[in-house]
Amino acid sequence: MATVKLTNVVKIYDNNVTAVHDFNLDIADKEFVVFVGPSGCGKSTTLRMIAGLEEISGGTVEIDGEVVNDLQPKDRHIAMVFQNYALYPHMTVYDNMAFPLRIKKMPEDEIYERVTHAAEILGITDYLMRKPRALSGGQRQRVAIGRAMVRDSKVFLMDEPLSNLDAKLRNQMRAEIILLRKRLDTTFIYVTHDQTEAMTLGDRIVIMKDGYIMQVGSPEEVFDRPGNLFVAEFIGAPKMNTIKAKLVRGDGEYHVAACGAVLKVGGEKGQMLRDMNVPTQDIILGVRPEHMVLAPEDDANAIDCTLEVNEMMGSEYHLHVVTDDGNKLIVRIPTITLTHDQRESLVPGVKLKVTCEGKVMHFFDTESEVNILYPCQAPIK
Amino acid sequence: MSKQSDYDPSVMKKHMGMQAKTRASNTVIYIVLIIISIIWLAPFVFIVLQSFRVENTHMVGYIVPQQWGFDNYVKLAQTDFFRWYANTFIAAVCTALLQTIIVLCMSYTLSRFRFKMRRGLMKFMLILGLFPGMLTMIILYRVLKDLGMTQANAVPGLILVYIASSGMGYYVSKGFFDTVPKTLDEAARVDGATRAQVLWKIILPMAKPIVIYTVLTAFMGPWGDFIFARYISMNASAGMNVAVGLYSWLTADQINQRFTMFCAGGVLVAIPVTILFMCLQKYYVEGVTGGAVKG
Repeated sequence: MATVKLTNVVKIYDNNVTAVHDFNLDIADKEFVVFVGPSGCGKSTTLRMIAGLEEISGGTVEIDGEVVNDLQPKDRHIAMVFQNYALYPHMTVYDNMAFPLRIKKMPEDEIYERVTHAAEILGITDYLMRKPRALSGGQRQRVAIGRAMVRDSKVFLMDEPLSNLDAKLRNQMRAEIILLRKRLDTTFIYVTHDQTEAMTLGDRIVIMKDGYIMQVGSPEEVFDRPGNLFVAEFIGAPKMNTIKAKLVRGDGEYHVAACGAVLKVGGEKGQMLRDMNVPTQDIILGVRPEHMVLAPEDDANAIDCTLEVNEMMGSEYHLHVVTDDGNKLIVRIPTITLTHDQRESLVPGVKLKVTCEGKVMHFFDTESEVNILYPCQAPIK
Repeated sequence: MSKQSDYDPSVMKKHMGMQAKTRASNTVIYIVLIIISIIWLAPFVFIVLQSFRVENTHMVGYIVPQQWGFDNYVKLAQTDFFRWYANTFIAAVCTALLQTIIVLCMSYTLSRFRFKMRRGLMKFMLILGLFPGMLTMIILYRVLKDLGMTQANAVPGLILVYIASSGMGYYVSKGFFDTVPKTLDEAARVDGATRAQVLWKIILPMAKPIVIYTVLTAFMGPWGDFIFARYISMNASAGMNVAVGLYSWLTADQINQRFTMFCAGGVLVAIPVTILFMCLQKYYVEGVTGGAVKG
């Protein structure tokens, strides 16, 4: 159990590629922090610097108040789970899990106790005498987690632990990690490229791109108040619709002119715009697919569009539509809100009208791509 | 449909034609292989048979002995043969041990660590390895003579020569180490292991075939060496290895008394190596191909 503090951490590889720029983050004791971002964003590199597997080019990493920059991985009191499990193929499951304890020269009977206890929690007691190659992917990852569990490590690092599993198993293991986290009650740092994992597991999410932190926040924060366009598009599936639009300040009211329609910005967001006295300007309008609705045909202030593809997902429809001026949008409509006739009418080529309320709109600056209402400076575009 | 066509006479005929063709080409292949193996095995059979021939000791024009016996083997004990045998054995075992350790450490280092001039060093060793080792003979002799490791004291000198360049034989084992995922090292290091513990406890147990391959090749070099051993021991019988010693019996004035003993000695030399290979050939084959096929 420990805090982790990264101050101005930089990673520059030998070929002068900077993988991580000026990374600052305070991780509280027993916090579950998720690093998420597209591949090559530096999330794994940052994790490996914390683990001591990658040299730190600049800045400091502190674990439990102690600067660990120059410590070997073995002296950092961390446990790590790898994407490809990294089980020792010549050892049985038991020996794999006992390995870190044997290295520490712990008495065999205590090792036995710890390993069997961890195996019980993870439900792998029956496989203890098997070799890793006789296990399925999910079982292997459980062993890898078990190997990390048996030690009293200060920080638990996980590097895309579920990426090698199939979708069904991934959902199951995700739930198990949530339970495990409750049981272990220690500091977790988890790396993933999957925003669903990030949203469901993390107390806080660190969204990274090209070696920079784009935003740090709770799942609610990054979803409801994305600081910039990158975060807005990265979090949420399908990704947020973005349209070039104009924010117009009228007589005490704001409107957005987009795709030939004028949408009123009412409620809380309208109030915020008024309070901040935002002038009329070009913006990028962001609206999540699930926040768009079909408008009645006589609604003059809705966006005209044509249905291109209709994906029936079971509980909802994903309608891929093209607006009259060429913008492509996705609209998620819950199946239950549609009548049978309406469903039948959703064939490609049909004309539709879509709209959204002011409270679900996100306004981004066209230049800096920063959220106008909740600015979170993105260092690069 | 397909079931029926199996019974179609025209298809059957075609099948038989194929079978006959395969059989003919197999016959040719087997004949060639049998001839090659006869050529290959003849000298060994010859030596074994001659070693049991007791009617006389010189070379004869026939292969199967007229009188059989162990005289030649018994008489070996009255010569320096077992001294040479011990010399060879000591040199081979020491070399096998030291060279294996050096090669494995070298390969692991080149496979896992990234340091300045790593590529340069590998290229340099590749080029160095292209020169025949014989080129160094004269200077090596000078050095060893100054160190007092020639003639009767040739064994330690020979061990030095054998292991001196062993770091250059890293190719096969580095190839194997390269196929072992790096995350295994990393996992072990996070688990608390030092670099050395990673090598001895994680990598080497997985690399058993490679270790055995390295030991075997390291053992075989000194066991069968002639040129260096001859050069460094000169004419001192106490410093000779079996190859040099046995060869000294083939001189014009000795060959008639020693020829069958020479054959007996040859058989004894082959025994340990044969046993080693029989026990370890499974690993040896895995080791040779280990770099290419991921285990």
